[in-house]
Amino acid sequence: MITDSTPVYFAALFPSVSHVMKAERILLVEKLAIKIIPVPKSISSDCGVCIRFEEKLLDIIQTILNNNFEKVEFRKL
Amino acid sequence: MIHKIDAKGLACPQPVVMTKNKMKEFSHIEITVDNETAVENIKRLASSSGWFFDQTISGNDFIINIKSDKPQVSDETKETITSFDNAGTTIVFSSNKMGQGDDDLGAILMKAFIHTILSLETAPSALIFYNSGVLLTAEDSGAADDLQALHERGVEILICGTCVNFYNIGDKIKTWALSNMYDILNTMNRADRLINP
Repeated sequence: MITDSTPVYFAALFPSVSHVMKAERILLVEKLAIKIIPVPKSISSDCGVCIRFEEKLLDIIQTILNNNFEKVEFRKL
Repeated sequence: MIHKIDAKGLACPQPVVMTKNKMKEFSHIEITVDNETAVENIKRLASSSGWFFDQTISGNDFIINIKSDKPQVSDETKETITSFDNAGTTIVFSSNKMGQGDDDLGAILMKAFIHTILSLETAPSALIFYNSGVLLTAEDSGAADDLQALHERGVEILICGTCVNFYNIGDKIKTWALSNMYDILNTMNRADRLINP
């Protein structure tokens, strides 16, 4: 049986891994369910990591990250 | 004839080593142990050797019965079988960080590394965790869901029980994966290749 419960994920992309590390700390303090993953090859061929989260957290994470970072980009995975 | 082993009060890997030694001589062994890690270790030994496993609880102790319906084989034959049915890659996590240098960077890289294992065309046959590597297996590590997914695909996961006790994270670890030095060295020894991120 195919269920339609497969979550839709978004990724937050940063200019450097230092930004990812800082963002992870901030989001974990807020107890948000996030995951560090390599940046998918479809987005960039550079070596990098990004923060993945479910669509339902998009609003809150966008708000928090936009308040803390000058440059952060959100992409649907 | 039932052979009885009293392995109460013994730390890992002793109960499993005592059992393994007697499996060459006897086809029905009863082992008494006092901790769950020993039960899981002997269970794994029984299943990898094709032995029937049964466990009952008596007070604070666990009484394990393992039986084999096959005639006992010589050591040489066993070794051949052991080296034949195992292949593939074993990944060894001796730390919760990837590489040496900045610890925060190492922690981030390691999480990304574990997630990437899921996309390998040929999954590794086993993952081994010891020392601070065991921290990656805790429920709140950020990697636990990936490890669960790998386990469901049949990847064997071995976590050093001594290290789990040392870091005091036993309540955050899946007990099915707790292992011992004996299993860990055996798995490394028979792997085609070892990866140590």
